[in-house]
Amino acid sequence: MNDRGGNETGSSPGRRGQGKLEAHVLSVLKGAAEPVPVAWVQERLGGDLAYTTVITILTRLHGKGAVERERAGRSFVWTAVSDEAGLAALRMRKVLDAEADRQAVLASFVTALSKNDELLLRELLAAEPESDEPPEPTASSEEDR
Amino acid sequence: MGFFVFLPLVLPLTAWPVARLAESRLHPRTATRLLSAVAGVLAVCSTLCLGLLMIVGTAQLPGNPLPDAWSDPEVRAALPYDEVAGRAAIPALLAVLVSCGAAARRQVRARRRAEDALAGLPETSVTVLPDGAPYAYALPGRRRGRVVVSTGMLAALTSRERRALFAHERAHLAGRHHRHLLTVHLAARANPFLRPLRTAVAYTAERWADEEAAAAVGSRRCVARAIGTAALLAPPTTTPLLPAVTGPGPVPRRVAALLRPAPTARTWPSLFTAVGLAAWVAAFGATASALSSANSAVALFLALRAATPV
Repeated sequence: MNDRGGNETGSSPGRRGQGKLEAHVLSVLKGAAEPVPVAWVQERLGGDLAYTTVITILTRLHGKGAVERERAGRSFVWTAVSDEAGLAALRMRKVLDAEADRQAVLASFVTALSKNDELLLRELLAAEPESDEPPEPTASSEEDR
Repeated sequence: MGFFVFLPLVLPLTAWPVARLAESRLHPRTATRLLSAVAGVLAVCSTLCLGLLMIVGTAQLPGNPLPDAWSDPEVRAALPYDEVAGRAAIPALLAVLVSCGAAARRQVRARRRAEDALAGLPETSVTVLPDGAPYAYALPGRRRGRVVVSTGMLAALTSRERRALFAHERAHLAGRHHRHLLTVHLAARANPFLRPLRTAVAYTAERWADEEAAAAVGSRRCVARAIGTAALLAPPTTTPLLPAVTGPGPVPRRVAALLRPAPTARTWPSLFTAVGLAAWVAAFGATASALSSANSAVALFLALRAATPV
């Protein structure tokens, strides 16, 4: 990598705080009106983070697709492309993909169907009259809860 | 002591027909509690049994740290085929410990990663993530858990079906279903004969939450449709999850169960039905296993103490 902080893993925070820190950096970057350099982000973070740490976090966010960067002279300027929820979604997806037998760890609403299951399920649902409950409009405030 | 020393290792076999019957005939709440308790007891007994066999086995090895007297003929007489069984128990117990440790570590790690992924978001009971992939999870937490749903999942459901989904996930959290799941997961690692119980409890825990959701929403069909719709969103797997098991998978069975009338919530069935018989056999198997483990432990302890020079 051509990042100056690419090998600064020693200064990175503990695993537990990483998620919070990434979210914090992203929210700061979101407040920028235009692509900004690392120093701008570091300044607004409160100053207790090393320059290289900020670069490490930004690079990690870039790897996750949550921020974009472009060259400006000898360094990069950074832009946020997703919000905290978007970042959480990207990270959650990674967790779910990484867990081979995630069913035992995280209780999923439904498990994967086999071809036979799919046919069987379609038959079951097709045989079911939908009379007693008229379909309701999809728009609702349920999502916001 | 005789061959019954080995009983706790084999008694988990009684769980096979029991798991089958309980998951289809008992109320899912009763089935989940019964099966996970049985699995826990049988696993502990089986591991204890392995531990005792290992002591006898290790005592035979030259250079072991145990008292020399523990390899006396009196001690070895307590165990049939002591040379083979004792030595075989050493790698077996190590394998069990390593496997359970790895499973427990993975559980902790996965939960911490999921928590970490959601760091920075407000700690609400429901978190909606902007993701086209349909998924919904109940993440148990220290104080209270949270439900994580993707927008892809919500977009596919009607508002009533969404309520069913949330009720289902909340039932998982309120009922602390992850504890039952963890118990059977570790039990299946401790004794492979207990694997059918893990599969059975994974199913009955979902059924339990389905029934709670049906009660909360006031419609069994609505929950059935929510499950059906959600399951059909994901592409079907090309390879079957459990190649050994034939017959319908858990999702069609859950939907079919919801389209039938609600199960009765009788806590303990009569002995004179197939279910009752199965439940009693399970209870008997677990008790016999516990007793024979205790018996072996005491007998072996006495043999070892008698052999230890004061």
